[in-house]
Amino acid sequence: MLNDYNEVLQKLCHHLEQLVGPGVEITPQTDLINELAIDSVKLLNLIMEIEDEFDISVPINALADVQTVHELASLIHRIKAQEQ
Amino acid sequence: MTSTINLEGKTLSSTIAKLNAPLTQAFNPQLLSSEQPAAAIPTPTYNTQAQRLADFDTLIAALEYAASGTSGYNFYDAKGNLRSVLSYRALRQNAQAAARQLLGLGLARGDRVAIIADTTPEFVEIFYACRYAGLVPYAMPVPVNLGSHAVYVRQLRGMLEAGQASAALANVDYVGFLKEAAEESRDLRWVGTPEQLRELPALNTELAANSPDEIAYLQFTSGSTRMPRGVVITEGALMSNLQGIVRHGLNIRAGDRCASWLPFYHDMGLVGMVMAPMVAQVSVDYLATRDFAIRPLQWLRLISRNRATVAFSQPFGLKLCTLRVRDSDLEDLDLSSWRAAGVGAEMIRPDTLRSFAEKFAPAGFDARAFLPCYGLAESTLAVTFSQGGQGFQSLRVDAATLVDKKVAVRLQVEGRKYSEFVNCGRALPGHTVKVVDEAGGQLPDLRVGSVLVQGSSIMTGYFNNPEDTCKTLKPGNWLDTGDLGFLFEGDLYITGRRTDVIIVNGRNIRAQDIEELAEQQPEVRTREASAFGITDANDVTTIVLVIECRLTSVTDRQSLTSRLQRLVYMAFGVNCLVELVPPHTLPRTSSGKLSRFAARQGFIQRTQMTDQLSAESGDK
Repeated sequence: MLNDYNEVLQKLCHHLEQLVGPGVEITPQTDLINELAIDSVKLLNLIMEIEDEFDISVPINALADVQTVHELASLIHRIKAQEQ
Repeated sequence: MTSTINLEGKTLSSTIAKLNAPLTQAFNPQLLSSEQPAAAIPTPTYNTQAQRLADFDTLIAALEYAASGTSGYNFYDAKGNLRSVLSYRALRQNAQAAARQLLGLGLARGDRVAIIADTTPEFVEIFYACRYAGLVPYAMPVPVNLGSHAVYVRQLRGMLEAGQASAALANVDYVGFLKEAAEESRDLRWVGTPEQLRELPALNTELAANSPDEIAYLQFTSGSTRMPRGVVITEGALMSNLQGIVRHGLNIRAGDRCASWLPFYHDMGLVGMVMAPMVAQVSVDYLATRDFAIRPLQWLRLISRNRATVAFSQPFGLKLCTLRVRDSDLEDLDLSSWRAAGVGAEMIRPDTLRSFAEKFAPAGFDARAFLPCYGLAESTLAVTFSQGGQGFQSLRVDAATLVDKKVAVRLQVEGRKYSEFVNCGRALPGHTVKVVDEAGGQLPDLRVGSVLVQGSSIMTGYFNNPEDTCKTLKPGNWLDTGDLGFLFEGDLYITGRRTDVIIVNGRNIRAQDIEELAEQQPEVRTREASAFGITDANDVTTIVLVIECRLTSVTDRQSLTSRLQRLVYMAFGVNCLVELVPPHTLPRTSSGKLSRFAARQGFIQRTQMTDQLSAESGDK
């Protein structure tokens, strides 16, 4: 069902909004580190939520190449697509 | 299934490779179905052999003995399923086979082998294989931060160089990073995965015994990207420390079982929860650090389900459990078997332990299980242990006297502002702890100073780094721990770190590394950046980076600030506060060196922040 990238993006943004609080605009180009200040503890929470929401396992080595919301959404989408 | 595992090496390795599905399984649809292969039974708690408590000359001698019993290592996945079983018997067999393959690469005795240490059976096999082959292994970390690719590769490169590795291994998830890091290396003769090593021809040779005075392994100590330091530990030092841990510290006995999420690339994970259980023939259940960090409950479930008795954590790990485990989860937990809840590796705050005990008391956790201890990689692992079975003891001292006079005065009247410190216990047999002032003179009880250790577990030095070795190992082979504390009635209390190390979320970050990152920016001059940690009342540490800055345009200043924050994040995985100040704001010592201590005081004054960390002294 979640093969659609846009749907992944939408759900991801929803989680990010809850994590960083109101008043921050989140777009695919938003930088997770610089603009959303996702530190290591917030990242753990985020991964847990992503794994629960999308029922996937996010490999830690793939995160080393993720910096923007779009890159994270693509990663989730890719894992999800390959698992189906 | 466990019976086939004890058969010959080849079947075993492939079984384990399959069972221990690496992280790439996320990309493999077949492995992720609900019918994941699972190992049937973990190694038993009660062994068939007589227990020997680390009375061996070398690590391999200990493994040879453990291999005649039934205990071993067990690896669990994020969902709590048993994914692979590596009995000590199977470990011996696989490690010997891999040792001959390592020797087949043409490596000579004493050559270093670098291994990226994910929580897998393969890491453990290669580590022991190195010792069978007379090679010196060292563990390297896995990447943990978002967008850290380039920084991680640099970090690996630094470690490969500092340890002058001749061979390097990583599992399939990390070997790409490793190969990138190895590109310019002159010393490396081989880089690959454990599976690739298995394909190589074995050298058909007798494996020579090790001697107590040869190097057992190197332990890298900081997350520093530039100039990482490899602690050199001999077999003799290792066995001495392991004996102290299992006999004196933990009083290991029949019926003990360990559960651990600690990374294999940290001394507490590797020495404390890989080697120490093996030299006492105790079974261990592992959860990968990543899986613990995301779902700390799984560690507690493992303890509960397998009736573990010994499990260690940094205070930060206990805090994660307290914060993240839901009350509804408590019903299914029974932590009453947990008799030794070791706590160490960073400053222990009494409140962290109290909150944990309060939260998990309904699940049967007994606060008397808390076992505070103190140690560092430069002393193999452990230096002091508190008395087992008594819970943690602490001392409340007058906060003002502590700061002004560096004296711990026990609180006489209620209502005064106090600092509370946890009793870390006494030195292991064969070790002495003393506290000295800045001139090196020994201080009496309750006087705060530098903590020095002497004894049989001390490192021989930092690998290929006489300068740092000389700074750390004082005359008489006294190890300067870099920590501050005081002694009281023979027990050690740690009050803080010197300002050159900042601990954030359980990780040690060297202030110098952050300052160097800043100084690499064109706008920042050498000696115009100062980094330090600020800990607030909720025990949250923030890194502050103060920069003397000549930029006037708002855009330029903004650009520098956000670039610095990004660089610090990518290198260390933490956010930092950047403050730009006019030139000549940062206080300097008479020799022109920046004083981080004074810079920190200045920052606190400017921002009116109150800082509860009170007993840190200035730089030397």
